[in-house]
Amino acid sequence: MSTYNKEQVAHLAAGTLDWDTTFRMLSMPKDKARFGMYVEALQAKVTFPDRIVLPLGPHLYIVQSAKNKQWIVKCDCGHEFCGYKENWKLFANIYVRDTPEAMADVYPALMAPDTKWQVYREYYCPSCGTMHDVEAPTPWYPVIHDFEPDIETFYKEWVGLPVPERAA
Amino acid sequence: MTIENSSVQVLGIDAGGTMTDTFFVRADGRFVVGKAQSNPGDESLAIYNSSVDALAHWGREVDDVYPELVTCVYSGTAMLNRVLQRKGLDVGLICNKGFEQVHSMGRALQSYLGYALEDRIHLNTHRYDEPLVPISRTRGVTERTDVQGKIVIPLRVEEVRQATRELVEAGSKAIVICLLQSHKNEDSEKLARDACKEELKKLGADIPVFASVDYYPQRKESHRMNTTILEAYGAEPSRATLKLVSDRFKKHGAKFDLRVMATHGGTISWKAKELARTIVSGPIGGVIGSKMLGECLGDENIACSDIGGTSFDVALITKGSFAIKSDPDMARLVLSLPLVAMDSVGAGAGSFVRIDPYSKSIKLGPDSAGYRVGTCWPESGLDTVSVSDCHVVLGYLNPNNFLGGLIKLDVQRARDHIKAQIADPLGLSVEDAAAGVIELLDLTLSEYLRANISARGYNPTEFTCFSYGGAGPVHTYGYTAGVGFKDVVVPAWAAGFSAFGCACADFEYRYDKSVDLAVPQHGTDAAKIAACEILQSAWAELAAKVVEEFVINGYKPEDVLLIPGYKMQYTGQLNDLEIISPITNASTAADWDKIVEAFETTYGRVYANSARSPELGNSATGAIMRGTVVTQKPVLPEDPDGGPTPPAEAFLGTRPFYRHKKWVDAKLYKMELLKAGNHIVGPAIIESDATTFVVPNGFETTVDKHRLFHLKEVK
Repeated sequence: MSTYNKEQVAHLAAGTLDWDTTFRMLSMPKDKARFGMYVEALQAKVTFPDRIVLPLGPHLYIVQSAKNKQWIVKCDCGHEFCGYKENWKLFANIYVRDTPEAMADVYPALMAPDTKWQVYREYYCPSCGTMHDVEAPTPWYPVIHDFEPDIETFYKEWVGLPVPERAA
Repeated sequence: MTIENSSVQVLGIDAGGTMTDTFFVRADGRFVVGKAQSNPGDESLAIYNSSVDALAHWGREVDDVYPELVTCVYSGTAMLNRVLQRKGLDVGLICNKGFEQVHSMGRALQSYLGYALEDRIHLNTHRYDEPLVPISRTRGVTERTDVQGKIVIPLRVEEVRQATRELVEAGSKAIVICLLQSHKNEDSEKLARDACKEELKKLGADIPVFASVDYYPQRKESHRMNTTILEAYGAEPSRATLKLVSDRFKKHGAKFDLRVMATHGGTISWKAKELARTIVSGPIGGVIGSKMLGECLGDENIACSDIGGTSFDVALITKGSFAIKSDPDMARLVLSLPLVAMDSVGAGAGSFVRIDPYSKSIKLGPDSAGYRVGTCWPESGLDTVSVSDCHVVLGYLNPNNFLGGLIKLDVQRARDHIKAQIADPLGLSVEDAAAGVIELLDLTLSEYLRANISARGYNPTEFTCFSYGGAGPVHTYGYTAGVGFKDVVVPAWAAGFSAFGCACADFEYRYDKSVDLAVPQHGTDAAKIAACEILQSAWAELAAKVVEEFVINGYKPEDVLLIPGYKMQYTGQLNDLEIISPITNASTAADWDKIVEAFETTYGRVYANSARSPELGNSATGAIMRGTVVTQKPVLPEDPDGGPTPPAEAFLGTRPFYRHKKWVDAKLYKMELLKAGNHIVGPAIIESDATTFVVPNGFETTVDKHRLFHLKEVK
């Protein structure tokens, strides 16, 4: 097992780590300290005071609110979506591409899916406009709830760290 | 012994990334090995320094030895590194319109070439390298030749002129032209090449043009394009390097013509037209050397095994010949070059050792300490245990005489790292943990070697195993034990064996061309004659190229021995076999029958007689032409018998050595002072500057008159 320093993990989080090291990280078992360092690197990038509990996407996190210790879903920019058990997408701005014209923005002619069968739903942060996710379902399909992490088990059993405090 | 008046005849050079080795052989078979730090800026200087180092053993000077030499063969990693580091020539590419992105996209398998199995099936690690030619220097021209070689859309020559102007403008230092199906019909590509050359002349631009038909007229579009680009991108700069080397030799009075080891197992001149095939040469040298040794010893089935710091390479010689792979991959590119077939596994003496945190098992590699040895070398800056650390702890290696004492190893430092990283987590003593690592490596290698032989339908008892490479002799007993080889041979010059092998190689050019010939089992005479005609004209075309190469080096066409060959398969099967032609000239139906018969015999040997399927008919897929001229090769030493007892001065004392859960005192011998006929029973360790030969309890070894050690298990 190899170990890595904070600087390397920070580069990993920023996407600027050299390929040789990235490759080694990818192909070998993950070292225990990685998650802690990774979260630390992410924490250093955001400006809000809340503690990051788990990253959900490149710009989206579950954080422990600095005000009341509640766990909430939060954007890079500080926008707060909802409690961590809820589907944050229901609190985002949604743009649905369900016409050939709207698809034409994304694909060249004749290369896009038939919107009667498939639409794109894009989820944006209402404050900063960052696109957090895109779904490609059939038109009638409900909003997908991607991920309901079992954070307590993850902290206790997977990475062996104390679970951050959480107010009900 | 005739030390003073024996002339030095052969020089082999192995210019690696960190060290440049030279290997001088005298007419009486005595040899010396020299080492010097490599110098990427001027390789010729490193070779000179290495020569000085080698010749000092004989008390001789470069200036009086170079003029004596008759043969000099170079092998090196400079071109490979240039390609891997993307530091080649700025090449421009002309291809078919609509296919401009093909080179950048590459073949999907190029995204995981060279990976261990775990990573091949782990998609996240797949990655496409930078293309050798960027899109900005790629131009498409309108043209199309179909798969049958019919021109469907004629070349628009004006577009070639325009493309040439743009590529020169974009800073191209060479132009590569590769059009679809040009191996089947060369007309369009030749037209494009001539137009391009004309345009360059008009522009006053003196840059070389590489058309794939002139170099590698072989099927498989990506392979042909990559290989032609490689010729311009990597080989042209190498030519400049080799000229520097050649010039320095000349300055010191050398009269020989510098040759370079090539992938097909022969050597070619540095002036050769196709230099891309010298991209990989080191490991091939070992196979060639083994073949020559095998001829001397009368062994025609040989398992060649080479352990370096990072990998274990295995090649098989059966019935006195090695196999050739025609579309190998190198530097993570698919290529059409004939390559001596070899299999590698990423485990060597420098492999890193780690504990898998989930399965708690020991894991070797795939990365390695390389020249940094391991944590036992304090200056290495390493803190991950390597296999060498285990060797040092267990007494296999002499910490004070590593690389002839060039670096001092710290046993305690290695112990501490093994204890913390391996022994403690597994609840073992340091010795047992280290011994476990060695056992695991030995088992990995011996399984690999065994599988390589039995997977091809052979029995190890019919094979002699040659073991070489810097670390080979340390492990020989471990990976040969229980496999059941007829004989196990360790040359005294194991560390310089690749350089030796290069010097053994023939001066040989080889050219290949794809052909498509199919004749059914009971084909008509007319069909057989037609097939012979096509094969013969391909041979004639290739022979002209081969002879032209020798003429460049001042040989007369009549000095060249031409050896035609072909690739054949049963029609509809997927794999072809390479056959040396039983006839030198093909014209009649009887000739075709002889060609088929030779194929059938080989097929029966490689697979099984019962697997032969003559009812399918036969397809010839390629024409091959090899040509050689006579050259001086190294001779083996012939020592007088010194009896079974090693001379007293060869005995250096004893060293504690750990194996099978106990420490024993291994007798130490100096390899150079052992005499032919000496018999040594393990536990013993035979040391020289460049290598260490381990003979543990349960094994014995005898030195023969050629300075080859034969290792046996004592029953």
